[in-house]
Amino acid sequence: MHEVALAQAIWRQVVCEMERRAGRRLLAVDLVVGAWSGADPESLEFALGLVIADSRWPDARVRLRREPLALVCRACGREFEARDVDLVCPGCGGLDVDPVRGRELRLESLEIE
Amino acid sequence: MAQRIRLAKRVVAESDRLAKALSDRFNRAGVFVANLMSSPGAGKTTLLEETARRLQGELRLAAIEGDLATDRDARRLRAAGLPCRQINTGGGCHLSARQVLDAVRDLDLGALDVLFIENVGNLVCPAEFDLGEHRRVVVSSTPEGDDKPVKYPIAFHHADCVVLNKIDLLAATDFSLEAYRRFVRGLRPRLPILELSCRTGEGVEAWIDWVRVQRRAVAGKTASA
Repeated sequence: MHEVALAQAIWRQVVCEMERRAGRRLLAVDLVVGAWSGADPESLEFALGLVIADSRWPDARVRLRREPLALVCRACGREFEARDVDLVCPGCGGLDVDPVRGRELRLESLEIE
Repeated sequence: MAQRIRLAKRVVAESDRLAKALSDRFNRAGVFVANLMSSPGAGKTTLLEETARRLQGELRLAAIEGDLATDRDARRLRAAGLPCRQINTGGGCHLSARQVLDAVRDLDLGALDVLFIENVGNLVCPAEFDLGEHRRVVVSSTPEGDDKPVKYPIAFHHADCVVLNKIDLLAATDFSLEAYRRFVRGLRPRLPILELSCRTGEGVEAWIDWVRVQRRAVAGKTASA
């Protein structure tokens, strides 16, 4: 619901990095969107596209990778990927699980020339 | 020639930094802070009105009230004896750490025992944003249906306590207490579920006790830190 604000936050970080590399051109922005990051990948891609189109590097591409929610079972230590909202450990049937990956929205890397 | 710059930066890093600043302020002042989240209409404001009435004279309370528009809820809380700062997000779907920092700037936190942050009515976005609070409370209510925990797993997963309000309406709805408890336990086996009705007062004392116990636990920690 706040993907435009997220896109602007991402863009501020991108611009900050580019300003430290004056004269270079931005080719692509790589993002990782966790299943439990709360950001909707399509909306985010759309919002960031609008921001980029209006920027100094209107041809830059957005490459978005989805990261599934990975959990670790506190009882048996098994790590597994959650399917939908099924958070039960497939090893021991335990319910006491902690997310280890898939909670973040990350600006992973930039491609420049 | 193309070159890759690896950053691996959390996009909400700035928001996390502000939340840490808030958390430091709260701990220095020794005030217990609870962030309340729910869908619109679950009863956050009513729960706080009831809390203010029951804890008056025992604990020094205040609230930060987040709404898209209007100060209707803030006026209700003040009428119940709860000093209140209103934040209007103007369409913003959650309270941000920046807004809360502005709201507490001229608040004497040291003169408070408990600060409640009533987030914008929304079970999606508020769950993503840390406001420096000690505890997160999700308020749900029986007319919303018993499947809220599975539909909004992130909010429930990050909660420290779940309040189920409007249990006086159980007979008038298809809500299954058993299903609701099972859904919550499926996400968080040890999460406290406080079933109550702000209207009849049933079960509210358990919530008040939860506030007392959490405040003592946090006050003990910050005093020794």
